Amino acid sequence: MYSQDSDENEKRKALALERSSTPREYYARLRSVGATDGNEKPGAVQLVCRRDIEEALRTPELFSSVLVDTDIMGSVEPIIPLNVDPPEHVRYRRLLDPLFAPKHMAALQPAVLGHTNALIDSFIDRGSCDFSAELAVPLPCSTFLTLLGLPVDELSALVRWKDIMIRAETLVDNPDDAKQLQFDTAKDIYARFGAEMADRRTKPREDLITFLTTAEIEGSKLSDSEILRICFLLLAAGLDTVTISLQCIFAYLLEHPEARQMLIEKPGSENLLIEELLRWETPVQQLTRFPTRDIEIGGCPIRKGQEVQLALSSANVDPDGVPGADQVDVTRNDIRSLAFGGGPHRCLGSNLARMELRTVIRAWHDRIPEYAVAPGVTLQWNGSTLRGVDHMPLVFPAGGRA
Amino acid sequence: MKLSIDAERCQGHGRCFELAPDLIDADDLGRGEVLVEGEDVPDALIDAARSAVRACPEGAITLS
Repeated sequence: MYSQDSDENEKRKALALERSSTPREYYARLRSVGATDGNEKPGAVQLVCRRDIEEALRTPELFSSVLVDTDIMGSVEPIIPLNVDPPEHVRYRRLLDPLFAPKHMAALQPAVLGHTNALIDSFIDRGSCDFSAELAVPLPCSTFLTLLGLPVDELSALVRWKDIMIRAETLVDNPDDAKQLQFDTAKDIYARFGAEMADRRTKPREDLITFLTTAEIEGSKLSDSEILRICFLLLAAGLDTVTISLQCIFAYLLEHPEARQMLIEKPGSENLLIEELLRWETPVQQLTRFPTRDIEIGGCPIRKGQEVQLALSSANVDPDGVPGADQVDVTRNDIRSLAFGGGPHRCLGSNLARMELRTVIRAWHDRIPEYAVAPGVTLQWNGSTLRGVDHMPLVFPAGGRA
Repeated sequence: MKLSIDAERCQGHGRCFELAPDLIDADDLGRGEVLVEGEDVPDALIDAARSAVRACPEGAITLS
């Protein structure tokens, strides 16, 4: 029995690695077989066709985001607004959306540019860096600390937390131990944000935690639990997503010198390139929903409460859903992308992510236009649904642009 | 041709006001707001309007 389980486990790991290494081929194959796939995770069903996925995203009354018999990254409490359905969800989003609207993100941009340049300063004279460890990981963490008003010297603790939340299984061998580590860490995170919250109540500042302690929804203040579950969401959703997006975009650029040339010659061209590569590479490969009644999709029965994965990576490149979606063009401006999801749960931080990506890609190409993968290194995809490259050793002329 | 956004469908993806900034602006929630509501879109801006329509992930924008 044990060996059968471990065979199954190995098979799933191999599929996950294939999915993150060659997502477009992987999903083209699944779509050619049918609208659903049951091989991802025991008991779960994955939807792979654009039309079904769009429909699910836009029908929260049938495809609920409320957790059924599971935790979210070690939090047994639903996190806000990710695990909340309309109409409650709408109230939270009305409060939070303005904080992440383009106007606010523009005000945060100089700080993000400052963090980016400081990180680049730390390795540019060396003529080499690990793009992941030295830029793609710390940059969104620094941004998060600035946004929440936490001290910058907490960075390494934050990196550790988010690694446990997102990929505990890669840090600890035994799956049960990994889960326990996640539960313990979630408690630590709630305790830590609890202390920050108490501090802001006595000493208000210009930061997001202070805002949450004073904010009201329809005349009532948020409860402590609500504030903590919003902070947990920001931590869970705002760090690795930007890290892997940078990794996916740079992995593409390393293989496409003409796209790099465009970025060097045409400042501003990064805006469309980023949109197209988020679609083409789809770093966040799946979202999860739970049907509120028994349904059937493409002949496959799905039970009420069963985990359903929506394969954004497939929807984004499904030419039957959007003509031309199986081609990449980093200058195009006319294709619908679900890289940030869709429907009422559209990524709360999409404008923040865009601003961070634009800032890093612009600053990097202004300062280090010539770069390559270090000799002898082959980049390895991580096999995660948050698709990225954990190690990206790059080389470039020391000092960057002369 | 006139441009309009279905406020029920719009989820604030923010593509439209990037692609057609002369026609659409962001409101406080980060949702699209047509600046030329009820007016004909000038010929010079028709292409920008079309790309906003095509790029909207929710299909919330119409030009007719």
